[in-house]
Amino acid sequence: MSGYLEELKLPDFHLWKRTEEKRIPLSAEIELTERCNNNCVHCYINLAANDEKARKRELSFREIRGIVDEAVQMGCLWWLISGGEPLLREDFADIYLYLKKKGLLTSVFTNATLITPELVSLFKKYPPRELEITVYGITQKTYERITRTPGSFEAFMKGINLLKRVDVPFTLKAMALRSNINELEAIKDFCKPISKGPFRFDPFLHLRLRPNGKRNRQIRNERLSPKEVVSIELSDKKRKNGLLKQICEEKKIGQEPGHFNDDNQLFYCGAGRTSFTIDSYGFFKLCSSLSHPDCLYDLKKGSLREAWEKYVSKVRTMRTEDEECRKRCLSCSLINLCMWCPATAYLECGKLDQHIEDFCQVAHARAEALVNTQ
Amino acid sequence: MGKLEIIYAKSQDLVEREIEGELIIVPLTSGIGDLEDELFSLNEIGRDVWARIDGKRRVSQIVKELEKIYQVERGKITADVLGFLAELAKRKLIVEESPCQVT
Repeated sequence: MSGYLEELKLPDFHLWKRTEEKRIPLSAEIELTERCNNNCVHCYINLAANDEKARKRELSFREIRGIVDEAVQMGCLWWLISGGEPLLREDFADIYLYLKKKGLLTSVFTNATLITPELVSLFKKYPPRELEITVYGITQKTYERITRTPGSFEAFMKGINLLKRVDVPFTLKAMALRSNINELEAIKDFCKPISKGPFRFDPFLHLRLRPNGKRNRQIRNERLSPKEVVSIELSDKKRKNGLLKQICEEKKIGQEPGHFNDDNQLFYCGAGRTSFTIDSYGFFKLCSSLSHPDCLYDLKKGSLREAWEKYVSKVRTMRTEDEECRKRCLSCSLINLCMWCPATAYLECGKLDQHIEDFCQVAHARAEALVNTQ
Repeated sequence: MGKLEIIYAKSQDLVEREIEGELIIVPLTSGIGDLEDELFSLNEIGRDVWARIDGKRRVSQIVKELEKIYQVERGKITADVLGFLAELAKRKLIVEESPCQVT
């Protein structure tokens, strides 16, 4: 009789393939706010916690409910709450519970500094699918060098301890920056025994979603050199194996001439196939990094269904005539090892189809190092 | 009370979703299901049983109704339904309704 009931383990979720074929929007992200109580030196999005102008523009709970209802009707199953710092929203618990009660597998990205006993009880009773917390450092000096917020390290540790005390699982992750590179190994050691999922780090820093020369200079200064990126990646077994797998896939793809963009289509990634992002102000986009005005759809003036059914294909069929982009990026056999995509190209250069030399160097350094290790 | 006299109700701590024609049960609170990363899906017969778990029908009535639909020998269908309900109960997807709660 057990055959009547089937357990669905998410990694083997058989609906994935069907939903991809039918373009069901299975997975969504909402940036609840761009505001944050930290002011991290590398952050691509944060505004001050007390930015009233931003707060007033944010989607209301009622507006969020409308979008969520539509998404659920369309088959959405996964929902990520991110920010800014989402716990800054006074109605965070209401929004979170609403998503859960709609049958959405809800995850939360947070810096953990605003975790309270009430929120811990909420997460204990209604567990998030993932609660992901970024660790900037494990000493006050390093942590606050990055967050530029006095007291933030203590608040972070307090949040972590509150979660640990009642056994709410969470996953820890880190950004690898110039300001914490010397502490990265110690961060790993701190995270591994208490993190639910495997510890991971990201050395790729996005520039600001809304152009800001001063902040972008700070972000660039925090970026590691291609050699450093490769060195820390190869010292991490899981990451190294992941990259090797990618390289093998590149080779396979490389054997099919003309696989890449024979029609010069810009978007080669999966964004908008079964997933989408909504920013704090109600703009629909294919992914969180894509901020080009031609790629945003205002949900306050339309519907999610229209965005999904009409707007996505309009964006995904955008093409380039830029010779350098076509030859150096879209036809590049290392494209899967490169941070380049139309979204990052726009952030780096203000154009969706421009080659990015820095990223190119990292991709080649990665490929060279990986080939040497094989 | 015999097993066939029990009345079951669906747990309040789950959400039923229908995606691409498939019924998916999403646990809402901790303690539902065995694993945290788990959803449940029902096949056609499972759905027919599930649809009849309403806090009003006795197991015997569910068996009777399924017997009509599937025209299978009663002993077999009884064993199947009881086994299925036991599994749902074990995973806390359904709860026994006490008789006084039933109108």
